[in-house]
Amino acid sequence: MKQVSYGKGWILLITLLVGLLIANISIGSVQIPLSKLFLSLYTDQPLFSDILWHFRIPKALTCLLAGSALATAGLLMQTLFRNPMAGPDVLGLTSGASLLVALVILLGQFSTIFKGVLFHNSWSVALAASLGGGLVFILIISIAKYVKDNAALLIIGLMISAATSSLVSVMQYTSKADDLQAFLIWTLGSMGNTNWTEISVLAIVVALGLGISYGSIKSLNSWLLGENYARSLNINMGRSRLWIVVATGLLTGSVTAFCGPIAFVGLAVPHLVRLIIPVTNHKILMPAVMMGGSILLLFCDLVAQLPGSTQILPLNAITSLIGAPVVIWMVIKSKRISV
Amino acid sequence: MSESTLIMLQTRNLAAGYKLDGKDFPLFDNLNLNLNKGELVCFMGSNGIGKTTLIRTLVGLQKPLRGSTEIPSKDSVALVLTDKITSSIMTVYDLVSYGRYPYLNWNVQLSAYDHRLIEESIKRVHLEPLAQKRISELSDGQLQMAMLAKALAQDTAILFLDEPTAHLDLNNRVEIMNLLRTLCRTEGKTVLVATHELDLALQTADRIWLATNERKILEGIPEDLVLDGTFDEVFRFKGFDLKSGKVSQEPYRKKALQLEGQGHEYLWTKNALERTGYEINAASAIKIKVTHKDKAITWNLSNENTEINFTNLSGLLDALAKD
Repeated sequence: MKQVSYGKGWILLITLLVGLLIANISIGSVQIPLSKLFLSLYTDQPLFSDILWHFRIPKALTCLLAGSALATAGLLMQTLFRNPMAGPDVLGLTSGASLLVALVILLGQFSTIFKGVLFHNSWSVALAASLGGGLVFILIISIAKYVKDNAALLIIGLMISAATSSLVSVMQYTSKADDLQAFLIWTLGSMGNTNWTEISVLAIVVALGLGISYGSIKSLNSWLLGENYARSLNINMGRSRLWIVVATGLLTGSVTAFCGPIAFVGLAVPHLVRLIIPVTNHKILMPAVMMGGSILLLFCDLVAQLPGSTQILPLNAITSLIGAPVVIWMVIKSKRISV
Repeated sequence: MSESTLIMLQTRNLAAGYKLDGKDFPLFDNLNLNLNKGELVCFMGSNGIGKTTLIRTLVGLQKPLRGSTEIPSKDSVALVLTDKITSSIMTVYDLVSYGRYPYLNWNVQLSAYDHRLIEESIKRVHLEPLAQKRISELSDGQLQMAMLAKALAQDTAILFLDEPTAHLDLNNRVEIMNLLRTLCRTEGKTVLVATHELDLALQTADRIWLATNERKILEGIPEDLVLDGTFDEVFRFKGFDLKSGKVSQEPYRKKALQLEGQGHEYLWTKNALERTGYEINAASAIKIKVTHKDKAITWNLSNENTEINFTNLSGLLDALAKD
């Protein structure tokens, strides 16, 4: 009756993570050979050292943080709704974050003071995006109390998404070209726009979100049985729902603020990871999903850099381009999909 | 009083039901019930009368409209509900380990003792070979057994089960009820089962709770409730005679037969004849005699003139129909 430990799955995940981390740092428009990678970090090769410390390493760290944050947020949503199609972007969280970020960036023309205070402050954009994601999520949760049917809830999420997107469109229509461009670039998603200050902000918020998530593993496991059984196991469902809301809001909001609305990672990664490590216990699943998210974003970012060229593709195009076929293949192969 | 009448659960003027637009809609009112230690109680009643609502109210998943329920503590009840588990990759072992959750902290670290209880619970329902199988690979009966193992792992004094035998075949139904009865007898557990299985309930329950249409619950030992007509009154059986335990048959062929024989072969022959619309009457001129010799059964059909032997019942029925 002893339980399986999935050693092979863990080895695969760790190998991929380390390999992609090194590849992500060494490959780009300027190739840094592996042999010189570690030497360049501290020796007096100013060019390589500059590229590494000011561009490559911050970007790789952002991938690590954003990937694990989004994938974990997706896992939380799928577990909470017991719905395999749930994810931060599907339920309108990302659109909610976009709405508030758009307010901050695009409404600049109406209040330059407002803009001057907010836009150049990493904390405030993170706050705006977190607040936007959080508000939509609270809205979804309160509707969820009345609508017990998960499919109906997803449709409501999509509608909220549509409504906030149209508000953003109205704002785009009435805003200045400069603001519009700044906002559009933000929506395409990027891992490379973060400086060390922003990374530390992101790291603090993500660490908080992941901490709350990991602290909720008992209630997350219990949610899988449904509300009645969970309550019969003495789980305080109201409180755990609130913590999951807070964690998802922090994780999705902060990443969306600094990297833009990244699609697909939250939805796809939990399913991909369950293919390698098929467990339902969040104590094992959550760390694996965090690694999986980092792996996927490191890989997508690597592809977006178009190794060997000086061009960079928008990250969001790559995550969807890679994510969609993988999920389709997975559903066809396993013929079913579940949380 | 002996140990067997130690009260484990008691309700005081309990009203259970739901609220709609601030108004109370009680499904049951003024209930003063109790469950004793080591007792298997079957809770019966028609569909939709509110069995699930009462169970939810008794365990505190739902607030009572009035009155109260007294149980030793909130941790003392384990549940098997009709809720579906949607996760398909969850293993039987993981499912059963949920039973230990009330005793674990946030980190869900199972101790050696927890693992032992989980394994023992899985053994009790005979699922050891399937412990690492996914629950989506189980049959309905096996899944129900796994849910029962989860409740056993919770190691509580009281077990509540909401229709644990629905959709199961006879073998599985009997196995579950027997296991529950063993738990009551050998471990002194108190078990409440909401069920529609009248025959099983009558044969296994120590007591019956019978929900009436007047928002009351009548209680008593099964035999008393059968003999004093309470069951007939509540269920208003259509074509079922509870006292003989059989479906009532209409002798539509207007043809009487005389039947002679013994034991099982007599009973099943009678069953076949009544089922196909014959009346059994000792005064009839047509006589069927069932004899059992060396594992071979012979049916002898005779009237004033002829006499034929049959080796199986369908042959006999065919011949009777042609008459």
